[in-house]
Parts: sequence; structure tokens; C-alpha cells
Amino acid sequence: MKAELLYGACLAADMPAPRTRIDATHSDDVVLENVQVHYALFEVPMAAALACLPVSLHPAVPAHLGLTFWRCDGGPLGAFECAWIGLACRTGIKPRHLVHAAFVDRADVGDWLARRYGFDCRVADVHYRETYDRLQGRIVIDGQVLLDTVTTRMQPVVGAGASVKYSPALNATRVGDAALMVQMETAYAFKRVIRGTPQLPVYDAAALGNAQLVATFPMSGTHAVVDITLLPPRFTADFAVPAESGGAKKIAR
Amino acid sequence: MKFGLIYELSTPRPFARETQKAVFEHAIEQVVLADELGFSSVWCVEHHFLEEYSHASCPDMFLAAVARETKQIRLGFGIATCVPAMHHPIRLAEKAAFLDILSGGRVEFGTGRTSTWNELGGFNACVDDTKRSWDEYCRVIPQMWQQERYGYQGSFHTMPERNVLPKPWQDPHPPLWVAVTGHGTELDAADRGMGALILSIADVERNIPRFEAYRERVKKAEPVGAFVNDQIAVANWMFCHADGRYARQRGEEMVATFGYMAGQTVEISEAYPASNYTAIGLLGTLRPDPHAPGEQKLPPSGLCFGDPATLIDTVGRWEAAGADHLVFMIQAREVVAQQEVLDSLCLFAREVMPRFDAQASKRFAGGAR
Repeated sequence: MKAELLYGACLAADMPAPRTRIDATHSDDVVLENVQVHYALFEVPMAAALACLPVSLHPAVPAHLGLTFWRCDGGPLGAFECAWIGLACRTGIKPRHLVHAAFVDRADVGDWLARRYGFDCRVADVHYRETYDRLQGRIVIDGQVLLDTVTTRMQPVVGAGASVKYSPALNATRVGDAALMVQMETAYAFKRVIRGTPQLPVYDAAALGNAQLVATFPMSGTHAVVDITLLPPRFTADFAVPAESGGAKKIAR
Repeated sequence: MKFGLIYELSTPRPFARETQKAVFEHAIEQVVLADELGFSSVWCVEHHFLEEYSHASCPDMFLAAVARETKQIRLGFGIATCVPAMHHPIRLAEKAAFLDILSGGRVEFGTGRTSTWNELGGFNACVDDTKRSWDEYCRVIPQMWQQERYGYQGSFHTMPERNVLPKPWQDPHPPLWVAVTGHGTELDAADRGMGALILSIADVERNIPRFEAYRERVKKAEPVGAFVNDQIAVANWMFCHADGRYARQRGEEMVATFGYMAGQTVEISEAYPASNYTAIGLLGTLRPDPHAPGEQKLPPSGLCFGDPATLIDTVGRWEAAGADHLVFMIQAREVVAQQEVLDSLCLFAREVMPRFDAQASKRFAGGAR
């Protein structure tokens, strides 16, 4: 029986043109110690998710998006805060978040993230804090709050490293002249994890890159203190050809 | 060694009514044949909202349907979900006892707690509590079956004294099982005197330590029911064909299809970090590590794809490792034609099963098809 598979519905030609270009010669590992990571997930309508995923990617079912904040107080890139929003998807069978909005509070770090992994960061006031009773992440540009997320009812997660899985970010970018998707390559060493229930008091969907992707149901929000190893990018994914049909390729070095 | 089948009722898109019905009818036809051929058990999963992957939301109804069309094959809940938001323990006790009567005492009562956000999120269930609720359910349900009147105060449910009816046909009650995916759950099964229904498909050799740990631990079981069900059943894939290469191709097609379907579901570990869900579920054992890009994972060594001689060797390795049952998945989203599935069952039953099951050997000597 010939089966119909579930893919995104956005033709490659209709995907936004990438505005970044990675430097595929990156081959070094970069270690960021004691990064505070906030990762909050919300379900979104499946129809909206399918409409903005390219035809080479499968959706996650149920459809959901992830908000990721990093607060790094020092290290090889200096102190910075960044955040990105991605739609859960699958390259073949592997969980990924296709990023449609990214923000950073320092332009030079934004440039580095663009060259390394294809993040298309806007400079913004990115502010993430853990307080005694909540996690709060906020993105502000020119005084306008684009996103405000609050996670409450926190509790510790035992055996943190074994139970926390961050789906890697997938960015639309250029590799050479080709428009492709590149995956952020990271390794995490967890030191502490707490989990709670996220809310989104402010989520300006249009300003955040996709007016259709509106959070409908909270899944989880976590705060972790993590040593992050940023590995060189290794794989590209095609907008038109699914991974299972050869659309995922290793970056040649 | 005994052999069974396990059904997910995976269904290809688009979800037309005719397609859905065909999946159900094909499965029932397979079970009826399997009963004639001497397969010992059929299990039906319980899943909700898992598009394509599994449309088996009411295993008790599927098992009731096959109960009245079969004579010998045992009927396994694979599993009954012990999550308060999904089932009350009284209802699970009632349904299993009801089916036990309808089938003349053929129920195997598998228990579990689900591993996806699709399901636990969909029912707005408390993810953190599922292991504790499972533990409570497995202790109270056997009491509901055995005691004329029973009441209890639990952490998840409380009931005044009532006579839960009907009582099961089997005396004292159906055998109890636990679905095992994460490492350590086989010990939870052993401690409670329950059979281990191992759903994480892996290499034969990798399972040996789990089997040994279960066997050792079950010696000191404090059974939650009236007896210790000291058995290990292992889920597996099977496609048997005279042309071994063709059999492997079809088998790999089923596994790839399963990976695609399961890949879109959202496992708890992806959605909701929780101390009681540190392991990836069945899916994770069949695909490359989803969080490690690029690596290709070879299929586990113990899958039953091949010609009869190959399968005799593979099943023999499982038997030597200590498995009591192999429970086969024989279809995935209808990628194998129904007649090929039936032929595969017949060939397996004629050429492989008699090597391991004395009753099957006599049956085929007597001219069964």
C-alpha cells in the first residue's frame, strides 16, 4: 500500500531567503561554563506548523515550539544573553527546532553565532533571570516587549542529565552559495535542573517571525545550569529533499 | 519458547474510513489464523492520539472481538494504562474480568503507564505521578478480582467497600505483566511477582543481563497478586519467507516505517523532563540516537527477519538467553500485503515453531496447514 507521509507544506521557493552565511571551516570546540539555560515548550496549532515547515521536514505531533534563553556570564565569548524561538520538527526521525527568530544582546556574539551556526540574530535586550519562585525571560527591542515568559511552580529534577533533552536548533542559512539548514551542534553537561509550568504573558507572534504560530498549551519550562560545548557544524539539511531521501549531508572540510 | 503477536494497529494516511476498517479486519484475520497455527498469545497495545503509529485506543474491545473468533490463543492487554487521568482501576479490573469470561479464561493482564507527551499531555495527566499510580493500580486490581467486597484508600483513588463485578474466569485471576522499556523496570516487575513484557527491542546479548537480573530478583518476589508470574516475553519483529534476502528487505521496510511513525511522536523525555522518565521508549531502541546526528545504528541482532533456517537460529539465541515468549510485530502501516503477512505466519508456524514448541510439532505432524 502506497502511504502518504506527513511533511511540512511550505515549498522551498516560498521559504524566507537566508540572510546569514556560515563559515564551514570552523573546526574548534568552544566551551561555555555555567551557562543558565531556560527551555520552555508550548503546543501550537498543527495547521500553522505544517504551513511554515518546508516540505523536507516532518512535523512533531503534537506541534510545538520551543523558547530557548542562554545567559552566559563569561568565557571565550564574554558575557552575553541570547534567545531563539524554534518550531519542533524532524529531519528524518531526529528531533529539531527550526528557528524563526533569534535575539542577542551583543552584536559581535550575534555575528559569531551567524558564522558558526547560521543564527539570524537581532540585537535586543535579552533578559533571563531565575528568582526564588520563578523563571522570567524577556525580549525587548526599542522599548517594545516582544516576548515575556514566566515559569512557576518549580521543582528539582533528579538525575538531571538523564532526563533533559534539548532539541538542537536548525537554522536557515547559506553554506557557500547554497541555501540550506544547518544544525547547531552542542554537548551539555548538566549541573542543576529545575522544572515548572511556563506561561506567556506577552508573545507578539508577528514580531517574533510568524504571526500564525501562537502558543495554545504549556508543556514544560526548565532552568538548567550547564557546561556547554559548542561543536563545529557537521550537517546540512535541504529545504526540498527530505533527510531520508538524501537531503541531509555532512559538511565537507 | 512460545510465540505471540502484538498489535499497534498502525494506519496509513490518509485516514479514510475504509483504510481504518481494513487495518482492523486484517489484524483480526491474522489473529484467527495465528490461533489455528498454534501461536500462544495476542497482545494489543493501548495508545491514544498517536497518528499513524497506533490507532489502538481500546485494546479490550479488539481483544473481545478476537476472543469470540478464536479458541486457544491468549489475550494480552499490552498494556492497560495505569494512569488516573486515563482509567480508573475499577474500570480496568472490570474490563479484564469481563474479557476473561468472554474468552473462557484467556486474559493476560499487562500493565504500564505510557511514555509520550501526546498521551499524557492529551489527557492532562500528571507526568510525575505515573510510576506511583502504576504501582497502586497493580496492587489494588488483583484484590478487586479476588475479594468478594473490597475497599481502599489510596494516593490516587479511594473507594468504599464494593463488590467489583464480574470476577475473572481464571482462578485466582489472570497473570500479571509489566511493560518494560527503561532499564530497571524489569526489577520492578520481579519485585512484584509480575511477568516482564520487554518492549525495548535490542540485541539478544544486551538483554541477557536484564533477563538474569529479573530471574534472580523474582526469587524473592513479594507478589502483588495471588501468585508469581515468572515469565519473560520479548517484543520483536518477524517476517519469514523462503527467500531470506527478500524477508530482510521487507523486515527492514517495516522497521523503517515504524521509525518514521514513532519519530513524529513526542516522547516525554523530549517534552517534559521528569525523574521517572529517564529512558527513551520503544522508539529509541529502533532508530539511531535521535539526539546524535548522523550516526547510523545497525538493526538489533535479534530481529526475526529471514528464511526459516535463519529464524530457527535467531529464536534459538533468544531461547538460550532466557526468553520464554517472543511476541512479534508483523505489520507496520500496512506496508506488507495482507497475503504476505498470512504466508509469513504459516511458514513460521510450519518450519520454525515446531523446533521450539512440542505441541506445535504434534499439530503439524497431524496435517495442520
